[in-house]
Amino acid sequence: MKALRWNEDRHKDTEEQSDKVFSKTERFIKFSGFVPVFLLPMCLIKTMKIKVYRNLMGANDKWANKTRALLAKENVKMLNLIGSPGAGKTALLEQTVKKNSHRAFAVLEGDIETRNDAERLARLGCEVSQLLTGGGCHLEAKMVHHALRDLPLHRLDLVIVENVGNLVCPAEFDIGEHAKVVVLSVTEGEDKPLKYPVIFREARAIVVSKIDLLPHVPFKLKLCLEFIRKINPHAPVFKVSAMTGKGIKEWIDWLTAAG
Amino acid sequence: MHEFSICQALVAAVLKELGKVKDKQIRLKKARIAAGQYHRIVPASLKFAYKILTKDTPAEGSSLLIKTVPIKLKCNKCGWSGLTRDICFVCRKCGGVNMEIIGGKDLCLESIEVERRQAQRHRGTK
Repeated sequence: MKALRWNEDRHKDTEEQSDKVFSKTERFIKFSGFVPVFLLPMCLIKTMKIKVYRNLMGANDKWANKTRALLAKENVKMLNLIGSPGAGKTALLEQTVKKNSHRAFAVLEGDIETRNDAERLARLGCEVSQLLTGGGCHLEAKMVHHALRDLPLHRLDLVIVENVGNLVCPAEFDIGEHAKVVVLSVTEGEDKPLKYPVIFREARAIVVSKIDLLPHVPFKLKLCLEFIRKINPHAPVFKVSAMTGKGIKEWIDWLTAAG
Repeated sequence: MHEFSICQALVAAVLKELGKVKDKQIRLKKARIAAGQYHRIVPASLKFAYKILTKDTPAEGSSLLIKTVPIKLKCNKCGWSGLTRDICFVCRKCGGVNMEIIGGKDLCLESIEVERRQAQRHRGTK
């Protein structure tokens, strides 16, 4: 079976092609090795290469660093909670709010539309701020920086940002967090760590959620853990069920230690 | 992913460098970027974005050359290091998973190439 890698193979030839277009004079000079004396000044000024070496992720990183400085000033830690839509990110946060008694934390909810998740958490008495991207598939550093100002940072010691449900884009955008946490539910399939390697590689902790459903789905937990280890050998893995409350204690202990 | 937002930063950087050149009779010919494979840039999308975003700017008509830098891994267990095409963090020598990424994570504008405008050149040589 042949696999086509869209991001490499097909467009490899474009660089060579663009170099192949020579003018008549250029071809003459290139292949004969002879440069006519009267053309010499023209050749010298014709093209000029300017070395730059500028990082292109700079604009986002600038805001991320601003956020980091703001958090350091207020002595607040920030986590970036990432998972596919319906992976159980909000359910995990609900349990965290209920069981967590000794940490002052707030949640920054990222969603494309609706305030449903923020309302769910606000009902439990959690400090929450909603960030609507209105179509954006991930949160960017600038959005988060502005949204953070709505939170009473001086009273907090932890902010959990719930990113837009997505395993692709949030991996590439640093929002100034101290750690990324990935939520993977057992209904998604055990090979997800291999399919979305960047996000699992970047994660500092991985939560396998909905484990109460294990008897009903063909999810091989052992294989999944093996795949996670291949991509990320160090991150702790928490097996939790937000419905039954199983594994939540270990998660909260980690949260306390991480902050 | 996100070739458009990356390309916005790219075009801004290119125009800034172009503005620094004192000679105003120049035209941008090529912009070269080095894209680490860890960023998973799709060259076709980036080129498409570049074409659109450089329209009506001094960089219009220039070509974008993308150099893909493969991911370089180093095994913390046996010390093996090498390049990989896939994002698979398993050591080829000892099979260990304790791998460190030591290359292929950057995304930067390497250089730009400018040339004097065609019309000017012909007038000069005649």
